[in-house]
Amino acid sequence: MTDTKLIKANSSAIQKRLIPTYIFLVFWCLFSVFPLYWMITAATNASIEVARGKIVFGTYAATNFKNLLAAEPLFKSLANSFKYSIVQTVLCLFICSLAGYGFELYHDKAKDKLFGILLLAMMVPQVATMIPLFRMVSDAHLLNTVWAFILPSISTPFMIMMFRQNSRNFPVDIMEAARLDGLSEFAIFFRMYLPVMKSTYAAAAVISFMNAWNSYMWPKVVMNTDTSAMNMPMLIANLAAGYTVDYGTLMMGVLFCSVPTMIIFFILQKQFAEGITGSVK
Amino acid sequence: MKKRIVSAIMAGTMVASLVACSPSPEAPATSAETKAAGETKAAAETQAAAETQAPAAASEDANTLTVYAWDKNFNIPALQAAEADYQKNVNPDFKLNIVEQSQSSDVENAVTLAGSAGDYSTLPDIVLFQDHYFKKYVTDFPDAWASFEGADVNWDDFGAEKLSYSTIDGVHYGMPVDNGTVIFAYRTDLLEQAGYTIDDMKGISWDEWIEIGKKVYDTTGKYLLSMDGDGNDLPYMMLQAEGVSQFKDGDINLSENETFKKIIDVIVRGAKENVIYLANDWSDYTDQTIVGDMVAGVMNGNWIIPTIQQVADNSGKWEITSMPTLEGNGKEGFASNGGSSLYITSNCQNLELAQDFLAKTFGAGSTETYDAALKNGGVITCSAKAGESAVYNEGVPYFNNTPIYAEIVKMGANVPVVEQSDYHYPTRTQVAAAIQNIINGADADASIKDAEDQVRFAMQG
Amino acid sequence: MNTNSKETSVLAKQHRAGWFFLLPATILIFVLNFYPMFQAFIISLKKGSPAALQWTTPIFNNYTRMLQDKLFIRSVGNTFLYLLIQVPIMLVLAILLAQLLNNKDLKFRGLFRTMVFLPCATSLVSYALIFKSLFATQGLINSVLVNLGIFKENFNFLGTPWSAKMVIIIALIWRWTGYNMVFYLAGLQNIEYSVYEAAKIDGANGWETFWGITVPLLRPVIVMTFIMSINGTLQLFDESMNLTGGGPANSTITMSHYIYNNSFGQGVGNFGYSSALSFIVFIMVAVLAFINLKVGDKRD
Repeated sequence: MTDTKLIKANSSAIQKRLIPTYIFLVFWCLFSVFPLYWMITAATNASIEVARGKIVFGTYAATNFKNLLAAEPLFKSLANSFKYSIVQTVLCLFICSLAGYGFELYHDKAKDKLFGILLLAMMVPQVATMIPLFRMVSDAHLLNTVWAFILPSISTPFMIMMFRQNSRNFPVDIMEAARLDGLSEFAIFFRMYLPVMKSTYAAAAVISFMNAWNSYMWPKVVMNTDTSAMNMPMLIANLAAGYTVDYGTLMMGVLFCSVPTMIIFFILQKQFAEGITGSVK
Repeated sequence: MKKRIVSAIMAGTMVASLVACSPSPEAPATSAETKAAGETKAAAETQAAAETQAPAAASEDANTLTVYAWDKNFNIPALQAAEADYQKNVNPDFKLNIVEQSQSSDVENAVTLAGSAGDYSTLPDIVLFQDHYFKKYVTDFPDAWASFEGADVNWDDFGAEKLSYSTIDGVHYGMPVDNGTVIFAYRTDLLEQAGYTIDDMKGISWDEWIEIGKKVYDTTGKYLLSMDGDGNDLPYMMLQAEGVSQFKDGDINLSENETFKKIIDVIVRGAKENVIYLANDWSDYTDQTIVGDMVAGVMNGNWIIPTIQQVADNSGKWEITSMPTLEGNGKEGFASNGGSSLYITSNCQNLELAQDFLAKTFGAGSTETYDAALKNGGVITCSAKAGESAVYNEGVPYFNNTPIYAEIVKMGANVPVVEQSDYHYPTRTQVAAAIQNIINGADADASIKDAEDQVRFAMQG
Repeated sequence: MNTNSKETSVLAKQHRAGWFFLLPATILIFVLNFYPMFQAFIISLKKGSPAALQWTTPIFNNYTRMLQDKLFIRSVGNTFLYLLIQVPIMLVLAILLAQLLNNKDLKFRGLFRTMVFLPCATSLVSYALIFKSLFATQGLINSVLVNLGIFKENFNFLGTPWSAKMVIIIALIWRWTGYNMVFYLAGLQNIEYSVYEAAKIDGANGWETFWGITVPLLRPVIVMTFIMSINGTLQLFDESMNLTGGGPANSTITMSHYIYNNSFGQGVGNFGYSSALSFIVFIMVAVLAFINLKVGDKRD
């Protein structure tokens, strides 16, 4: 028997043993993907068909899209959502990576303690701080601005933690070498740390972008006085409210709200996995 | 090389974010005219903020008013009708800036938040507000409102019940918009199959009504009535038709309230006998039970009519009448549920314009406003004068060519005034839970007592 | 001596730079989390209209009266039910999926991984709407079950207390299992393959390897996901609000939803009481997270 044959036999035996695994995974994936498939078909069906649970593609996609455009400022809201999410993601990544870097690579007792205190912030229910936060934003005359939207989310313990964990993989020797070359501490961050940690940034960007994109409660509180500041979840809520709801149009809105985050995930998938891997080391 | 690309991307995204922060060129044209009061001062202090601060709050422009409303298919067309009316007949430069909210609670939250921040400058000139909530909001936020004092409005034109929500110590705060008068609409074709006509449903007792309902269910498989089981409006409406309130001298009054207990008993029996169907939530109620054709009857505030009319196939088969009562024997029931009114806020910089606008449109029974509001939004007036127009007296094909709109306005005049409370909605929630528990086998008296305790608990907060 | 002091000054400089890196994030968290929390605590000692709050007498009245609040107690019960049933199921499934997907011989790994993670990309508002439609009385799940002959007639999933809770749990599992799986998968990829090889040579079977190697090595990740899940579940809001509306008869209402109702729902605006309730939630989360950290492993 030749080697290749041996490997082949071996691998087919392995694949045979993996059959239960495949079956389980296929079932789980059906469970995972089915509601999303249904969302897409629903966007192509008439309201009454959606309510009746029709699961095949229909012919109402164009009508639903037209109704959606007539009912709500779709493109304005999409643009808003992108604007808020990009600003929030960039600022959040910058501030939190700076902190994560500082906490890990300059760590001492005091900083570790401080980190423990900051983690407490993760446990504060959003509803609890909403009222005082609203007062602050209102006093600063920031209502209906992008700042009001992003302020509570640009520095989060979770993100700091993620960067702190990942920073352990950052080779300290490089830092020493750079210092000998006369680079300042900040230059080391920008010139060394940023490029090396790109997969962490990608993972953090995916999470931060999704959070910002899906944010609903807080924007409703600080931006509800101005229709032109509305983001996508608020648009969906508008479609879902009222005495009568057109489900086809609603699902078309849901589709527009879900696709961007999925695309972002598809693009950054590989880096995302790498970044998360670093954070759990 | 790779490093450089990543830093280039990082730099790129930062630039992009800066671009995103800067004022967008397609900012609405109204932004210049409708800047918030006091915002100009703030703008100087916080340049960055002012750059992105979009038009909010009340209007400074002498001819523009900003208003919050929440339903594109209902009250927003009514406001547009009034705007067109005022432009045509009073002030051609007038502009109404309608800011759409996703639901009525958004408006309430805007007032609550502004009040808690002690800064009402974020409010618009006028808000559309649910009548049941208004008294609570005057008690809690006395500085948020401006009254109609000095405005030329013939208040007698509106029903006393409607005005009782928005009048405080004899001062008028609200301009009635839609009429909450309860209708009981029946499918006459289904009644006929069970051996009844629409006239048989008039002036009957609830007990007789349940008997009819059983026959209707047996012969047609349809329920005679449905309701949102979590936001159950039946107890309130049925009680009001008896002239009784769930409140007494400001306190909750359920466990000692015999009329209330009888009403609850009717609802529970109806639900158990397949006469009343209690839906899971609002959308289940409208979309499944009414649009989904599960019922032979609908009883609610008349704003439910557009929902009924969604099923084009049933055109001509519906008719409306008054509610049954506990007593029956020809006694008809009249009630009102869930109307709203327009209220001027204290942030309105142009009080005279706001008063004049509302007084000459909704307040004057203007046919032009109300006819268009009815046609475009299905909003039915509270004004007796507007109810006399030709449009109101036309037969409505969907309702077998009966002139239902004029009839509803007339019914509205008969609604008894009962004691209202700030705790209307918490009570509704608790009573709805009690009803569901009783249907599931809990003891009626204990459940009612429980609901009462819960509401009293909330009142003590 | 000289070089030594020079070294310390360099170290001190580095030290200072370290604090500079932390500064923006720390200030933001203090200003935007801790300060509002402190304010919320002050509010929790007050009552009355949000525009004119007054101190309660006795000062902790809002805290003592919650013991008589049957609805709050019920919401605590519901939330803990979700915590005790949903979190373990979800985490076990997530570990299982991660373990399966970590197999190098598996084909289409990337595709499977993507599909498992995909639900996380949908917004909370959207997925609540999707599940609500799927489980509606006339909805898809019902028509499938009736057509298959499993149910005789359409079942009101969201209108029956036990099944409404079940729908929430299923929805949560759908939305979050993939998210947790990613963390486990990442953790597994950090475990050297040779460790498994060695175990295999020692004659350990799959089950033994899983409990003997995988779980202990994944422990820090498990602790982290547990804390995240506890935190998320105790603050659960969107599902209760958008999927079931807390109904039927408040049988699915969560703590955060009840708190929201007390401040923004139903026109009550009882900020004092709802702030007090939020504080209790905060304490619950903190205590549970602390226990978790003690039981689990700590770094260093």
